[in-house]
Amino acid sequence: MGTLDPILEVRDVSKTFDRVVRALDNVSIMVRRNEIVSVVGENGAGKSTLMKILVGVYQPDSGEMYQMGRKVPFPRDPLDALSRGISIVYQERGVIPHLKVYQFLFLGLEEKFTRLGRLQLGKIIGLAKSVFEELGLKCDLASSMYELPPSTQKMVEIARAILSVRLMVGMDGEAEIIPVIILDEPTAPLSIEERDELFNYLLNLKKSNSFIFVSHIIPEVMKFSDRIYVLRDGRVVAHHDLSSEKVTEDQIFREIVGRESYYDLWARYVYGAGAVEGRRVVLSVRNLTKKGYFENISFDLHEGECIGLFGPAGCGKSEIAKALYGEIAADAGEILVDSRKVKLKSEPYARVKLGIGYFSGETGKELFLFWPIRKNVSIVNFDKVTKRPLKIISVISFNAERSLAEKIMKKLRIRAPNVETECYSLSGGNKQKVSVGKWLEKSPKILVLEDPTIGIDVGAREEIYEVLLEMKKNGIAMILVSDDPKEYAILCDKIISIRGGVIQATYTNEEFRRLMGL
Amino acid sequence: MKSEVERLKIGSVIAASIWRLVKVNPAVWAIVALVVIFSALVPDKFLSTSNLVAILKNFAVTSMLAVGPTFVILLGSIDVSYMGIWMFGGALVWLLYPYLGLASIAIYPIFGLLVGLFNGVVHVKAKVPSFILTIAVTAVLAFLTTYVRNISGVLTLIVPAYNFLRESPIPYIPSPFLLALPVIVLALFIMFFTKLGTYFCAIGSNEEGAKLAGINVEKYKILAFTLSGLLTGLGSIAIFVHLGCQTRVDFDPSELVRGLAAIVLGGTPLAGGMGGPHRTLLGALVYVLIFNGLFLLPGVDPNHLKLYVGTLLLGAVIAASRALKGALIA
Repeated sequence: MGTLDPILEVRDVSKTFDRVVRALDNVSIMVRRNEIVSVVGENGAGKSTLMKILVGVYQPDSGEMYQMGRKVPFPRDPLDALSRGISIVYQERGVIPHLKVYQFLFLGLEEKFTRLGRLQLGKIIGLAKSVFEELGLKCDLASSMYELPPSTQKMVEIARAILSVRLMVGMDGEAEIIPVIILDEPTAPLSIEERDELFNYLLNLKKSNSFIFVSHIIPEVMKFSDRIYVLRDGRVVAHHDLSSEKVTEDQIFREIVGRESYYDLWARYVYGAGAVEGRRVVLSVRNLTKKGYFENISFDLHEGECIGLFGPAGCGKSEIAKALYGEIAADAGEILVDSRKVKLKSEPYARVKLGIGYFSGETGKELFLFWPIRKNVSIVNFDKVTKRPLKIISVISFNAERSLAEKIMKKLRIRAPNVETECYSLSGGNKQKVSVGKWLEKSPKILVLEDPTIGIDVGAREEIYEVLLEMKKNGIAMILVSDDPKEYAILCDKIISIRGGVIQATYTNEEFRRLMGL
Repeated sequence: MKSEVERLKIGSVIAASIWRLVKVNPAVWAIVALVVIFSALVPDKFLSTSNLVAILKNFAVTSMLAVGPTFVILLGSIDVSYMGIWMFGGALVWLLYPYLGLASIAIYPIFGLLVGLFNGVVHVKAKVPSFILTIAVTAVLAFLTTYVRNISGVLTLIVPAYNFLRESPIPYIPSPFLLALPVIVLALFIMFFTKLGTYFCAIGSNEEGAKLAGINVEKYKILAFTLSGLLTGLGSIAIFVHLGCQTRVDFDPSELVRGLAAIVLGGTPLAGGMGGPHRTLLGALVYVLIFNGLFLLPGVDPNHLKLYVGTLLLGAVIAASRALKGALIA
């Protein structure tokens, strides 16, 4: 076999969920020996579905699979995939914090190192040492996983994926099967420096393995891949071989989103042409500190302004948001709503009374899935749907509930048969619309947004953005916490960059977009 | 005048809502099935006027034990203090009657409310698991009831002055049922026409979400326990009258099971989040029909009835929880 022949290939893979949602439409990709292949695309483009088919979590509706040029059936389950040399490192939930490094490394593989029911620790540690040496990974085998820096944790995870392939396939030198390791957004929790460290590690491992790298961060994809597949709406819309063609980041970006850019959305809704200085300050944060999470955070939020707290996961941005809507209590500093000091230790209900609402895109976090849309809307709007025949009794009016929910459904174009439809049956985007819709009528002064469009498709995303921008235009101030730089570029007037719990810099929308190359 | 089309439309709406009622309340099927089975097996006994009156009476008693705690179970917690409220509340009525006269019956709701408030505050603030807490409360109150009887040197804690309550102004409708009716209406009103019902369900199905939607979770939890105590206190009056104006002085665990059984059979899962007093009423009816029907069947030893019903319940609860799990996954 030549070096250019694919070691793993799928052809014309299609997958449909629930008979309607077409997740993959005749997708073909292949992986060669010793290369890093990137699969890029938006959330919902089909990347995860494709990867899950490769490791046997899903079965495709149609398609063919080839390994080393031979036609093979699709893997039945992850174990089957593993025995054929395909392994995956998931974006999250991979690491078990309290296990020691060597325990984690051999988790689920202990059987092979057990004699008479006793784990052969010496053998395990010996093998772990030699593997780490071979892979160029430096860390103390006896330390617990949580003690390692995030990048090293990822590296150990990758080492584990390679090791499990080797043990499952039972390769003894004659490398007939080359491990194909799938990395699902491996850099998401990492800082820039840590990303470089991880990639250098991968480039080293490339000598004996192949990688499929799933990501939506274009610069790093461009820097480290040999080839790139662009997925959009379940199809491969472009394929680039970086060794032979010149591609720009702009070009890839356009291929990913399928049009010039949707950052003009922000510009269309800019509140008073970006001039917030004259506006009323609705929220002031002064030297807000919570030991171990964030320190000396100060900013002013104006009416109709959106401020983004930007930084890698674990930088303290989510904790700041939580401190604002009352989920956790800051230790020191001040929070002023409408120039009035509020208690640092509080509960979300008290913050809602002050006019601070909360919206998360995480499905089920603040949506009641088994309730009809009507109830999900009225839960924060009882003052609007009840009548008071006597002063102390407030009686729910079903007509008021229904018409309120209908109004919101119409305004947000929520696609559902009627307001009695239970929310679990809605699509992801429509669920999110119900979630955010309940605040539409409540009109809080401040809305804290946490990953508002996580896991929904492009079209629905744009609709959510439009709703949020419209609310912003009507004077609602917002705080955004997200993992997606694009989201900041679309929604925020000001972006505060946070690293290690402290404010590093403050950017305007334009500056931020220039910086991120958006 | 309504046109033919409109009438048809209304008809289909009614049919749809009945279908929905049956679909979401499997207890309706059970009721229909039980009535059909027992009417076929022992028609003369089961459908006799006196038996139907007995069913109504037992339904009132069972539902009065279960309606209040339903609100707590909606939260995903549990409240079994109803036995204690019912028993010791009656003892208090007996103790206070010489001083307060007929007004002493008012101690029932007041006492229920206080016990409920106590349960709620201790459960929420001290974070004591609700089952352990409320069963301990019941144990203490049951002991106190027996103790009152023992030191008073009487056999029963009977207050004959209330005997007038035993007579119903409406023929065939037993007075315990009439006394239970306002409590039922109150419970249904709270469930469907105030925000409390929604809030309790919200807390039970997604406490984190309820918190994020700005609900004062602790306050409404305490409120649910208090409401449970108050409704049980009010409902205990019906049971008090049913037992001949006296209270029970010895603790019987099968009475404890009766309340929970009505709730679970009705389709309010112990995990909370869905259901409500309307389902508990259906569940109470199922329970009463099973008990009553089995009692009438020839060849069923009445002494073993509790065993049969208990075993049946066990099966029903397991089946219900399995069916529910299926519904949640699908």
